[in-house]
Amino acid sequence: MSTLTDLLDDVVADVDGVFLFSPSGSFHQRFREADVDVVVVDTENAVDADTFVELPLEFDNVRDRIRFGVEGAIENGIVETGDAIACSVSVFDDDDADSVIRVRATEDMGSGIYDLFVDSRAEPGVIRDVFEVAIELGKKGQKGKPVGALFVVGDAGKVMNKSRPLSYNPFEKSHVHVGDPIVNVMLKEFSRLDGAFVISDSGKIVSAYRYLEPAAEGVDIPKGLGARHMAAGAITRDTNATAIVLSESDGLVRAFKGGRLILEVDPEAY
Amino acid sequence: MVRTVLPLSARETAVEVLGLVPPRVWLALFIVIFGIVAGYAVEVINRRLLERAGVPESTEGTAFERTAREFGLSTVTIIAKLSNYFIVGIAVLTALSVADIQYTELFWGDIATFVPRLFIAIVVLIVGIVVGDKVELYVAERLRGIKLPETGVISTVAKYSVVYVASLIALDQIGVATLALIVLLAAYAFALVVLTALATKDLLAAAAAGVFLLLRQPYGIGDEVKVADRRGIVQEVDLFVTHIETDGEEHVLPNHVVFRDGIVRIRN
Repeated sequence: MSTLTDLLDDVVADVDGVFLFSPSGSFHQRFREADVDVVVVDTENAVDADTFVELPLEFDNVRDRIRFGVEGAIENGIVETGDAIACSVSVFDDDDADSVIRVRATEDMGSGIYDLFVDSRAEPGVIRDVFEVAIELGKKGQKGKPVGALFVVGDAGKVMNKSRPLSYNPFEKSHVHVGDPIVNVMLKEFSRLDGAFVISDSGKIVSAYRYLEPAAEGVDIPKGLGARHMAAGAITRDTNATAIVLSESDGLVRAFKGGRLILEVDPEAY
Repeated sequence: MVRTVLPLSARETAVEVLGLVPPRVWLALFIVIFGIVAGYAVEVINRRLLERAGVPESTEGTAFERTAREFGLSTVTIIAKLSNYFIVGIAVLTALSVADIQYTELFWGDIATFVPRLFIAIVVLIVGIVVGDKVELYVAERLRGIKLPETGVISTVAKYSVVYVASLIALDQIGVATLALIVLLAAYAFALVVLTALATKDLLAAAAAGVFLLLRQPYGIGDEVKVADRRGIVQEVDLFVTHIETDGEEHVLPNHVVFRDGIVRIRN
C-alpha cells in the first residue's frame, strides 16, 4: 500500500546528508538529534550550526542556491562526490522550508557559482558588494530608465593594461571602495557613462570610462547577448578578473569568469 | 466638664513636652526628613536620566550587569540607590551637626569628609568595572574575525587594565596609599608602549610611507613599475603594502621599502 509519506521516503532514502537552507532555530534543533549529517546553508550562521556553508546572496533561483550549497560543501570537504543529499529548501514560502529535493553531489553539479564567489581573485565580500550594487542599479535604473553597466572585479592591474580610457577617469586619485555607503548613488550617476568600471581585488574603484580591449577569440557566451557581455566575457578570459554585467535590454545581472557565463540573476526577484 | 478639661490638660502637657525639645532638634529632624525626600527624588531623577542616556543598553551583557541581575538589581538602580543613600547620609550628618550633639562632633567630623569620598570611590569603581566589561566585549567582538582561541587573553588583559586604573582612582579617593600600585601601573604602561613600538616598528614605517603613497599616488593600479629590482604591474596599493605582479608572481612589498628604494616607472 502506498501512502503519501512513501513518496517522501523514496526521496530521502539512503541519503548521506541533509542540507537545511536558511532554517529557523527550532527547525534546525529538530534535526540536531537525527543520525544523519546536517549542513546548514544560509547567509549567516544564525543557528550556530557545526557545519555551515555561507551563501553570499539570497539566491532566488533554487537551483542556484542548491548548486552553491553543494559546491561549497564539496570544496570544504563536508561531502564527497557521489554522496546523495536531501535538501530542505523554501521555494515559494519565504520563511519555512516547503520542499525536499534529492541531489547527488557530483563535480559537474556545481556550475562554478561557489568558485565565482569564493575562489575569485577579488575578495568574496567585494564580489558580493558589486553584485548588490548591480542588482540595486537594475531594480531602480537611472531616473526610471533601464541602465546597463559593466563591472570588472579583480586583477585590476592587468585589466587596466588591457583597456584604454574613453575620457578622464572620475575616480582618479580617489579612494572609494565598493561597499562604502555613498557608492550606490555615485555608481548610479556614473552608470550613464560609457565603458566599464574597474575594481581592484580589495574593492577599490580604480577607474570608470574604460574601453576594454581583450582578444575576443574563444569566448563562449550565449548568442544574442550584446557587445557589453561580449567584452565582459572576453576580459575574464584574458585576465583573472570576474565581470559582472547589468544588461540594459533585459535587465538581468550576469557574472562571467574565465570567459564563461556563470550566473544569471533577475534584480526584480530581490 | 471633665471631658473637656482632660484633653485640654493633655494638650497642654504635650505642648509643654514639645517646648522642652530645643528648636535645633526640630531643625535637625526637618533636615533629615527633607534629606530622605530629596534623596528619593534624586534617585528617581537619576534613574530616569540614566535610562534616557541609554545606560541600560550600553551595560547590557556586561558581567557586572549580570551579577546585579542575580540580586534583582541593575547597574542603573545601583547607582540611583547609591545617590539616594549618599544624600540621606549627608542629611543625617548635617542634622547631627545642627542638633549640636557635642560629644560626637569629633567622630562625625571625620565621617563627614570621608562619606563623599567613599561615594565617589564606589561610583568610580562601578563605572570602571562596567567600562572594563564593555571594553572586554568590544575587543572580543573585534577579534572574532581572527579565529584563534588565544586572542581571548587580549580582551581579558584590556578589561583588567581598565578595572585596575579604576580601582587605583577609587583607592586614591579614600586615601589609601597607592604609590606602589601607581609604580606598577607605570611599569606596565611603559612595557606596553615599548613592546608595541618594537613590535610594530616596521608596520608604523610602512603606514607612514603608505599615507604618502595614497595621497600623492606617484604610481597607480595598472602602472608598470620597478621597485627593489622587482618589476611588474601594480595590482593594489594599501596603507601597508604594495602588490606588484609579474607573470604568475605577486610581490607584496612593504611601503617603506618602496619609499626607501625609490620607484622606477616604466613608460612605453
